[in-house]
Amino acid sequence: MEKNFIIAGFGGQGVLLAGTILANSFMLSGKNVTWYPCYGAEMRGGTVNCEIVVSDTEVSSVHKQDTDYALVLNQQSFDKFVQRVKSGGTIVANSTLVAKTEPRADIKYVFAPMGDLANELGTSKVTNMVALGVLASVVDVVDTEYLALGFEKVMGEKKKDLLQLNKKALEVWGNTI
Amino acid sequence: MNNKEKVLIKGNYAIAQAAVNAGLQCYFGYPITPQTEIGEYLSGVMPDLGRAYVCAESELAAINMVLGAVSTGVRAMTTSSSCAVALMQEALSYACGDELPVVLVNVMRAGPGLGYIYPAQGDYNQSVYGGGNGDYKIIVLAPSTVQECIDYTYRAFYLAQKYRNPVILLADGLLGQMMEPACFGENPYPEVDVSSWALTGAKNRDGRAIYSVGPDEKKQIQHIYNLFEKFEVIKKNETSFEEFETEDADIILTAFGSMTRNIKASMKVLRKKGIKVGCFRPITLSPFPHDRISELANKGKDFIVVEMNMGQMYKDIKYAVEGKTKVDLINRPCGEWLSVEEIVSSVEKIVTERGLAYATSV
Repeated sequence: MEKNFIIAGFGGQGVLLAGTILANSFMLSGKNVTWYPCYGAEMRGGTVNCEIVVSDTEVSSVHKQDTDYALVLNQQSFDKFVQRVKSGGTIVANSTLVAKTEPRADIKYVFAPMGDLANELGTSKVTNMVALGVLASVVDVVDTEYLALGFEKVMGEKKKDLLQLNKKALEVWGNTI
Repeated sequence: MNNKEKVLIKGNYAIAQAAVNAGLQCYFGYPITPQTEIGEYLSGVMPDLGRAYVCAESELAAINMVLGAVSTGVRAMTTSSSCAVALMQEALSYACGDELPVVLVNVMRAGPGLGYIYPAQGDYNQSVYGGGNGDYKIIVLAPSTVQECIDYTYRAFYLAQKYRNPVILLADGLLGQMMEPACFGENPYPEVDVSSWALTGAKNRDGRAIYSVGPDEKKQIQHIYNLFEKFEVIKKNETSFEEFETEDADIILTAFGSMTRNIKASMKVLRKKGIKVGCFRPITLSPFPHDRISELANKGKDFIVVEMNMGQMYKDIKYAVEGKTKVDLINRPCGEWLSVEEIVSSVEKIVTERGLAYATSV
């Protein structure tokens, strides 16, 4: 089993961090994983993305032409990556900023108001964690418990006080549906 | 950092921490994408350890500072990327002539000239053959995973001092920027005794000098013979490579660095399609595993080289094969790595053009 994910959004939405937490969750669950960012002359407010590949065996290639899952937090990322989802794959979109359209018939769509849900928890800063929670509700291999462990691993002891809020953010979509 | 713990880490940070573990005393560098994180990391860690971190005024200064530091017997390195490594070629020639254990990390980007920050593998020639003057040889190690970035950094420092020869760790932008679980473990190599040559002050002993030039013609000639004799020893002891399923293979896919994982994945797909493919991957690009490639060619195996440049390692494979079998090239100059799908379809095309001679099991 090898699956890949693209996570994309505005710079500042916590896209690379979400990818790092997702990749850590895979590592902690004993899988092989790679994380690869788009890198270049990016600036705040521009779009940013990273690609995560998870595999039971050795990860084949780190950067692929198409993706099994796309998690997109803004409209530009939706427009760009909806074209790169494999036939039969799924795009998971933040409907707070993305219009609910279905430009292709051969892929699945999941829309969730990630930004609104984050605001209801008190801060838009947890949009990325809400987004990972939505992803977990759609994809078997993504697990909220391991995501919480991934969060702890990435944020370390210093930010331990943020764990409760971020756990809530991970679970908010699952509790909604 | 707990040495046994697996951590998800970027190739650049992995190289930096591994260098610290290997006893790096002095780091000299100048920022350039895609390797800037190495210097960034060391700027935080080195002062805390009481070791030297210097952001030099240029790459030229950085590499020459490394030459100075390593001549005193301490471990030092610089890290850079393609167009800036080009600036360091003169110093590398001197380091070979002076027999100085310089460690240089090159996280490749696109060229020629300024190029851009896309990943690429266009510095095979620059690393293996060099751009400096005179006859010299550098040890070149090419990691393919973040774990190997750690393992080969340890090895680079050891080999540099063991043989008093510069070592280049040749990574690429993809490897520098990606994260992967890896484990630092312990530096597995022993300390190297440098007391017989290091410039440590002439207290209670005769003075020493390290230089590459001899106004005595005979001495100069002998010096170069000695350097090449030394490299023969390095070739005998240190040439390393990996091969996968080559035994029954008709075609051997060959790549170096992070392209290795793509050819291994392509091999699996092609075998399912009934084409007997194996993989060969040099770990030391210099000394290059000519002998093993020649052996495989003697067994009638054809080669396809897959690389992100215009065919640089391709020439070395052809040289090793000596026309005994066919050698093809699948390549792109830089940017997005050749995907498994692209490699598979290119191999199939080559097989079809050859009249399906390989598809024996179909």
